[in-house]
Amino acid sequence: MRNRKISFTVNNEKVTLHVRPYETLLETLRERLLLTGAKEACGLGSCGACTVIVNRKPVRSCLILTLEVEDAIIETIEGLKKNGNLHPLQKAFMEKGAVQCGFCTPGMIMTAKSLLDRNSRPNRSEIIEAISSNLCRCTGYKKIIEAVEDVCSKE
Amino acid sequence: MEEELYVVGKRVPRTDSIYKVTGAAEYTADIKLPNMLIAKVLRSPYPHAKIVNIDISKAKRVPGVKAVITGKDGYGVKWGVFKYTQDHMMLPIDKVRYVGEDIAACAAIDEETAQEAIELIKVDYEPLEPVFDPEEAMKDGAPLIHEGYPRNINIHVHIEVGDVDKAFKEAHYVREDKFRAQGEAYAMLEPYACVAYYKNGYLDLWMPNAGPHVRAKALSNLLKIPLNRIRVRHVFIGGAFGGRSEVAPADFIVSLLSIKTERPVKLVMSREENAISSRQVHDVVARIKTGVKKDGTIVARDYEVIYDGGAYSSTGPIAASVPFYVYEECYRMANVRYHGYRVYTNKGIRGMYGCHGRAFLAGCEAQLDLIAKELGLDPIEIRLKNGLRAGEETATGSKIISCGLQETIEEATKKVDFKNKWKKATRLKGVGMGCVAIMCGFPMGFRSGSSCSVKFNDDGQATIITAIVDNGQGNESMAIQIASEVLGIPMEDINIINADTEATSLDPGAYSQAATFVGANAVKRACEDARRQIAEIAREKLSCEIKDIVIKERMVFSRKNPENKIPISWIVREAFLRGKPIIGVGSYFPNIDLKREWVSKPFGQMAGSFSYGTSVAELTVDENTGKIKVHKFIAAHDCGRPINPMAVEGQLEGGIMQAGIAAIMEGNIWHNGFLMNPDLLEYKIPTAKDMPDIETVLVTTMDPEGPFGAKEGGLTIRMSAYSAIASAFYNATGRLFKELPLTPDKVLELLQTEEG
Ligand code: FES
Ligand code: FES
Repeated sequence: MRNRKISFTVNNEKVTLHVRPYETLLETLRERLLLTGAKEACGLGSCGACTVIVNRKPVRSCLILTLEVEDAIIETIEGLKKNGNLHPLQKAFMEKGAVQCGFCTPGMIMTAKSLLDRNSRPNRSEIIEAISSNLCRCTGYKKIIEAVEDVCSKE
Repeated sequence: MEEELYVVGKRVPRTDSIYKVTGAAEYTADIKLPNMLIAKVLRSPYPHAKIVNIDISKAKRVPGVKAVITGKDGYGVKWGVFKYTQDHMMLPIDKVRYVGEDIAACAAIDEETAQEAIELIKVDYEPLEPVFDPEEAMKDGAPLIHEGYPRNINIHVHIEVGDVDKAFKEAHYVREDKFRAQGEAYAMLEPYACVAYYKNGYLDLWMPNAGPHVRAKALSNLLKIPLNRIRVRHVFIGGAFGGRSEVAPADFIVSLLSIKTERPVKLVMSREENAISSRQVHDVVARIKTGVKKDGTIVARDYEVIYDGGAYSSTGPIAASVPFYVYEECYRMANVRYHGYRVYTNKGIRGMYGCHGRAFLAGCEAQLDLIAKELGLDPIEIRLKNGLRAGEETATGSKIISCGLQETIEEATKKVDFKNKWKKATRLKGVGMGCVAIMCGFPMGFRSGSSCSVKFNDDGQATIITAIVDNGQGNESMAIQIASEVLGIPMEDINIINADTEATSLDPGAYSQAATFVGANAVKRACEDARRQIAEIAREKLSCEIKDIVIKERMVFSRKNPENKIPISWIVREAFLRGKPIIGVGSYFPNIDLKREWVSKPFGQMAGSFSYGTSVAELTVDENTGKIKVHKFIAAHDCGRPINPMAVEGQLEGGIMQAGIAAIMEGNIWHNGFLMNPDLLEYKIPTAKDMPDIETVLVTTMDPEGPFGAKEGGLTIRMSAYSAIASAFYNATGRLFKELPLTPDKVLELLQTEEG
């Protein structure tokens, strides 16, 4: 199968690439654009470690093909820092001890960010509902929930 | 007077978290090196079969394939942690012993080419009769998985203290039960991966590991390369929980491929491969017999525990012992007999788990509650009565130098009004608790100790060099926090070089809960040595006595004249001028009986110290669906003193999920040697929605040996959380569990049985 041309925006930069028709967005991000923040932990859509934001929605990048994101606006963990400043979620995750091994962290933060983009004042159960789409094997989730709550209380 | 501390004991953000929240942290799968090849492995479709022939000729001819290897390319060395357990070839030549075992591998320019080549390898097998159940495997006439192991018994640990039979005869009440538990998946979020680069006779390696030196040693044996030519490098690690402790077949394979091609080679496992072909957790069957006096004193214990060991020895003797030890480190055992059998079966390779041996521990603890009830006592009373205290010795002769068991029991139960709730358990609603101790480091011979060095830059900033490895629990940050305290400079002024076998000295690794008690103790000593050197020069400059020197916030001054301060950088420069740069070294070797041996002499001091913990769970059982709902979970842990309370809490919270909630949902399911739930869709790990209301309590006992009084930071909860669930289930239903996990099918079945 021949490679096909596709254009989209990642972290405010426009990219044009030739990708294999069966290439997932996760592969494209990691292998071609060297954005390795999104992780592959299952490749099946069950863990959320590969979560990035596509057109304001959290997406499991292991489940969609790159050819599906023509002209899309994509945000990844690498684009969260603005002008050298950490995003409030990044800060809160650090300060609240929500990071252990860190393998789930980029996906978890992107899921939380997209929640806050949609709803800047989610309550605790809305936070739990949203992040329950992402697995974390280390933290027991308590400090992750507290980190997101912390950002909401400050906003 | 209690010394004043500036950083230790504070809730500081972990130093590594900045790399993790920005996506910059590089894990093994993220590594890209110039000219790197991608490896794929061919795996056995049979649980037990003779390898008649392997034909790799077609695979080799695929354009882009650079090397194809089989067991014949190895050096015929078998791996095992002990001389008497060396049975694992990593790439077998005689036969395969489990579904998913590595048979052959290739390295190619990309993943697709490698996959194509793998599919072209042709293997002729001659299937052999397999055996999957350890109790079946122990019967006469069962198929033998390895030569020289009659009845497939890989390891038999026998411990006997006192006069057990006599004690049973004299006991007021005796109870015997049998419990089972399915093995679990570690399910660390990072699937296994390894990168090897062999160049100019040196082999560089990156992989998730829990002890770089232990890993390098194994590979040195397997590859017949001297230790100085094997350099296991630092890399971020996505969780270990015991599953990354030993050398993996992947390490050997990728190394061999790199040696053949002299190019960097990377292997990244899929989630399914990680479940099937990296390590798994032992399934366990435990027979537990306990005899008590009328007042609740336990006088006799007889245990027989069978561990489903899978195809190879792995850490066999340790795995077959640890559940017993963490229990004997917790309770007095005047008369005890323990038979631990680790048995070969045709299943995947196994390792230790943070929640190892759950059938045994949960069985002991739930049975204890039943006994308490029988005697008119409650779970708190019977545990306090039998629990060990500081100054006592365990049954196998380990002295306890600090012990917060009592406090963890009291603190944890207080939070839920345990006594009343337990006595008045309403139908299908109950509370339960579990207690345990954990050794801070195992006996690992000359590898039991750790050392560290620290050097200063001329601007007064420092670098510590230690083999401590961070699997996610926060060990790097902990080491920096301790160094910051001793050196009097902020954490951001301290770099760490760690988990690199070339730059660092021997260390037990994060394996065996040694990082804080052993590794950080060495860091503290190295920093104290550097501090002494600084104080020596400062004393002259400040015309004061050494004992009055204070170093704080990068300044050195005398306690008696705090106005007169010199920057630490001046002292560092002065030291350079004198030709004696500030370089501190320190090491720590715990008080361990080195004559102790897991099988031949299971007596003597096991570890320098022990941590203690209590888990408490409150749950309800739905009699219609069989579903258990955990409402509240309290974890109280005696970590001596928390270096970073936030990090220790995180360990406890993770333990509640990984053991407590896992006790109602997690288990490996097998069918004819095939793992039926190798992915994260079929194997359910708890999500945020499955979590109960959680509370953690850190108990401080100020261990006399630990760095700043610290001990291991949280494993007691991973080891006791399922006990709390099992005990609460008993309280709610009047029934002891028979098998973990307590999934709805098992719960409904139990509810059909008689109480008791
Ligand atoms: S890797 Fe995409 S959901 Fe797990
Ligand atoms: S921090 Fe390790 S998986 Fe979430």
